[in-house]
Amino acid sequence: MKSEKAQLVVNGLKEAGIDFAAGVPDAQFIEVYKMVEKDPGIRYVGTANEAEAAGVGFGAWFGGKKPALLLATSGLLVATYHLARINLLHEVPMLVVIPYRGDIGDPRWLGLYKKTTEPGLNAMDIPYRIVSRSADIVRSIKECNESARAWLKPVAVLLNEEALW
Amino acid sequence: MVTRLSLLKELSALIADDVLVVSSIGNNSGFWGQLKDREANLFHVTMGMCTSTALGLALALPNRKVLALDADGNLTLNLGVLGTVANEAPKNLTIVLMDNRNYLGSNKKEPGMPTATAGKMNLEEVAKGCGIAGACTVEEVAGFRAEVHKALSTDGPHFIRARIEALDNDRPPRNKRVPDPRENKYQFAGYIQKTEGVEILGSGLGGG
Repeated sequence: MKSEKAQLVVNGLKEAGIDFAAGVPDAQFIEVYKMVEKDPGIRYVGTANEAEAAGVGFGAWFGGKKPALLLATSGLLVATYHLARINLLHEVPMLVVIPYRGDIGDPRWLGLYKKTTEPGLNAMDIPYRIVSRSADIVRSIKECNESARAWLKPVAVLLNEEALW
Repeated sequence: MVTRLSLLKELSALIADDVLVVSSIGNNSGFWGQLKDREANLFHVTMGMCTSTALGLALALPNRKVLALDADGNLTLNLGVLGTVANEAPKNLTIVLMDNRNYLGSNKKEPGMPTATAGKMNLEEVAKGCGIAGACTVEEVAGFRAEVHKALSTDGPHFIRARIEALDNDRPPRNKRVPDPRENKYQFAGYIQKTEGVEILGSGLGGG
């Protein structure tokens, strides 16, 4: 991942007012994690798994933070139970940022995640936007977070191959 | 060995009104709701999510005491959180673990199925191994009172493992309705907004 693309993701988080983030690093998104961890305006919590990250973000929202989860497509599967509870029982907002490995155009052997990511989000009734152009990254992250906070539910932004690499 | 209810009664007498309590699903939430009806309670936090939620809350509000009312089956579903707690080291976080060593025994007349702590797992030692040096175990009311008092008056993070009876045969009468998750969210978030001056709710523009 080029650092200028990672910077766009961080710029989007900043534009959105995100001040708290949790997640588990993903090889394809590692530059974003490193930048977020260093950013003085974002409290980053590295967790042992993505479900734990969802819980940490949930608690931080009650403390007045604007939380984001940084999840791999595999990590979304790990977080599913807690995200479903947060969305469908508690109705608490959370931005979920996912580098969309496995989308059409990804040459790696990750097609599994084409079959799980969008159907999984739909099953949890978590709205999402797929971003295919890097020029749309900042605006989309901001808009997804605005919707999350207005609707009191997690909203995901999926950044695919074309946008990120 | 003591019962969950006897320790929760003790906790209800010890805890200041402004300590935020995050309680796990099941009898931790059900009994606490009967004993301590207050705005500072977040109930019904599901399996594997109680301590992580309390951690996020404690990090967001570093000057506010936060107490996780967790349980053995709940915590072991997401055990890695103890490592995160140790590394993040929030001074204002106390984890009280009700260790009854079984799943689903709490609503029954006989034990359900054993958790790992019914076997060889010792969660005090796990917490210490994760880096929570002061982790301890209590098995009676006086020890519980002393450890909770210490935890709420000194810097954490603290981990108190309470070995309790497997069955809750002394369950309290249900005189109060424990709020559902949505109602509880508005109550808890509204209380924090009011007492901390932070904006949590009301971020949308309305419309129609």
